[in-house]
Amino acid sequence: MAEPARTFRAKPDRPAPAQTVGAVGWMRRNLFSSPANTALTLIGAYFAYWVIATVVDWALLDAVWQAETRRECLDAVGRSGACWPGVFVWFENLIYGLYPKDQIWRVNAGFALLVAWLVPLWLERVRSKVAIGVSAVLAYPVLASYFFLGGDKGFLWSASIAAALTAFVWVWATAIAERRTGRTLGELVLARADALDADPRHHRRLLFYTAAAGWLVAYALVALWYLPYVTTNDWGGLFLTLVISGIGITFSLPAGVVLALGRRSELPVIRLICTVFIELFRSVPLITILFMFTTMLPLFLPVGVEVDQLVRAIVAVCLFASAYMAEVVRGGLQAIPRGQYEAAAAMGLGYWQATRLIVMPQALKIMIPTIVSTFIGFFKDTTLVSIIGLFDLLNMARAIGEDTDWLGLFIEPFFVVTLIYFAFCFAMSQYSLNLERRLDTGQRS
Amino acid sequence: MDATETPAPDQHIASAASSERIIEMTGVNKWFGAFHVLKDIELVVRRGERIVVCGPSGSGKSTLIRCINHLESHQEGQIVVDGTELNADVRNIDAIRAEVGMVFQQFNLFPHLTVLENCTLAPIWVKKLPKAEAERIALAYLERVRIPEQVHKYPLQLSGGQQQRVAIARALCMRPKIMLFDEPTSALDPEMIKEVLDVMVELAKEGMTMLVVTHEMGFARMVADRVIFMDQGEIVEQAEPETFFNNPRYDRTRAFLSQILAH
Ligand SMILES: Nc1ncnc2c1ncn2[C@@H]1O[C@H](COP(=O)(O)OP(=O)(O)O)[C@@H](O)[C@H]1O
Ligand SMILES: [Mg+2]
Repeated sequence: MAEPARTFRAKPDRPAPAQTVGAVGWMRRNLFSSPANTALTLIGAYFAYWVIATVVDWALLDAVWQAETRRECLDAVGRSGACWPGVFVWFENLIYGLYPKDQIWRVNAGFALLVAWLVPLWLERVRSKVAIGVSAVLAYPVLASYFFLGGDKGFLWSASIAAALTAFVWVWATAIAERRTGRTLGELVLARADALDADPRHHRRLLFYTAAAGWLVAYALVALWYLPYVTTNDWGGLFLTLVISGIGITFSLPAGVVLALGRRSELPVIRLICTVFIELFRSVPLITILFMFTTMLPLFLPVGVEVDQLVRAIVAVCLFASAYMAEVVRGGLQAIPRGQYEAAAAMGLGYWQATRLIVMPQALKIMIPTIVSTFIGFFKDTTLVSIIGLFDLLNMARAIGEDTDWLGLFIEPFFVVTLIYFAFCFAMSQYSLNLERRLDTGQRS
Repeated sequence: MDATETPAPDQHIASAASSERIIEMTGVNKWFGAFHVLKDIELVVRRGERIVVCGPSGSGKSTLIRCINHLESHQEGQIVVDGTELNADVRNIDAIRAEVGMVFQQFNLFPHLTVLENCTLAPIWVKKLPKAEAERIALAYLERVRIPEQVHKYPLQLSGGQQQRVAIARALCMRPKIMLFDEPTSALDPEMIKEVLDVMVELAKEGMTMLVVTHEMGFARMVADRVIFMDQGEIVEQAEPETFFNNPRYDRTRAFLSQILAH
């Protein structure tokens, strides 16, 4: 005879033992879990103390803060303390190169504009983030290059600048509108004209006229706007490094996506072209590409056509970077299971829709750490442009030690440059970790 | 295998099949390289008909139903789906796929999109429905497959059974005329099989045209108008469930059934 069924009751949860939680628990588990571990912790702590103390002594406590020449520094403390005055004198050049002093505000304004363009992307309740991001990639460089270059502008140049300016105004107008009312600027314009219910073609025409009117006003303003010309020969320092790596990085991602898709294309010609391009540029060091572009490019161009040295460097970096990025993206694409393509196809999504909505977002997401590492690599690789005579941040630092007043002053400028590179690269990698965390939808659980 | 109790024959859902032929396969042959995977397939499905396909692993069941929405292309013969012939240069393949829903063994939900976004994606991008409308439809179907309060979660935060029910809702959101199921319960833990089958039974009651590859024989008895047995790329035998289970004609079918109903 069966017993009557018993009722099962789960035991209540109890808190974990105290040694395993909290700061003390953490230290016990991670630093002092065994005698060997304890010894390593103590040795490591001593080593860290020794490095930090030595650097602090040199950079701060024993350092010379006021001097006219390096000789004075050496007389005062010898080599045991840093000689900062040389770096101070040259600091502006480290950041801006030989950019005319009275024009430096333009560089600052150009970078401030970038920040202003991107801020709406981090604001809540802004809906048009994709469009804003695209406008930043396409329109910002136009406006920024006029800030940086200046000079006379023909009709086309003015028209583009006016369009970029219109885009910038649109970014902020729509961001504010979306935060205040929840509707985009376009929707507000249509509502204002009582056209929300009319047919979509009418909508497009109305929005086009509004944009065109904005552009005309911008064009009038731009026509009145003049900045003196600054040759790219005067660009240098951190500014130049950021321009080259910024363009290279921004270009490499979309170009890499296109190349990676091309390499997996079912059309043999496209596949061949993309494969050859990628393999060619990946198997040659960046230095070689830079050299080739400076020495061999003129052979391919008609006589008398001069290409700016900076443009050559940028083109070389862009080609190199996109070939690398293509392989990174391809790695991401390979990680997407076939079932994803099939599910998309089975619902009637075409190739481009499936790629844009299903495959790419996932591929790029898994590759964020690799993509950002590659970006960091590109950023540091721009130091190679010094080979073709450009004065990027590193080359500028080297130039300080060749100044007659500061002859041999290398360590201090390099120390500062190291800090600058570290700050940028660390920020990039932190941002990527942050991005990963925010985009995590449970795959790693 | 027998997670659902075998229902009495009178529990069989009344057939909803009309006389209209919605899928017609004539003389279909397919090869993977040199491997002949589908051999002289003849199959007619009427609107509202429910067909269960079974057979040993590797017999070509998946390939057969994947030919119907052209995830695989056949080399010989003719496949006509809702009046459109599928061939190599079929232009409106995406239009056909929009009318044929498919549910996969591995769910194949989009892990980067929420449950709701999974369901609204195709209606918005393929059918060009306004977002609000697509969401309204999606919420209605998600309710029907009993995914309550989970619509803003991501697929991988759900159990397998829930994921498969979302996958069914996602396919239904396109308002398909035909639903294809490729072993929808084979990747599930036993305790979740029933919740998915229940949803499929309801769908059958509503008169959906269904082709289901499954070894859930209880489901076949209750739902199928016809059971098809495949082996080595051929349709060996097709019959009403009564006949199929009680009186199969071929020894191969009997051997398969005795294996699958053994435990
Ligand atoms: N893409 C493919 N390429 C080559 N062979 C395949 C492919 N897909 C399936 N097959 C082979 O075709 C046969 C039938 O596969 P499938 O239709 O998936 O069988 P089932 O679903 O009945 O298990 C199997 O032997 C399988 O190995
Ligand atoms: Mg199969």
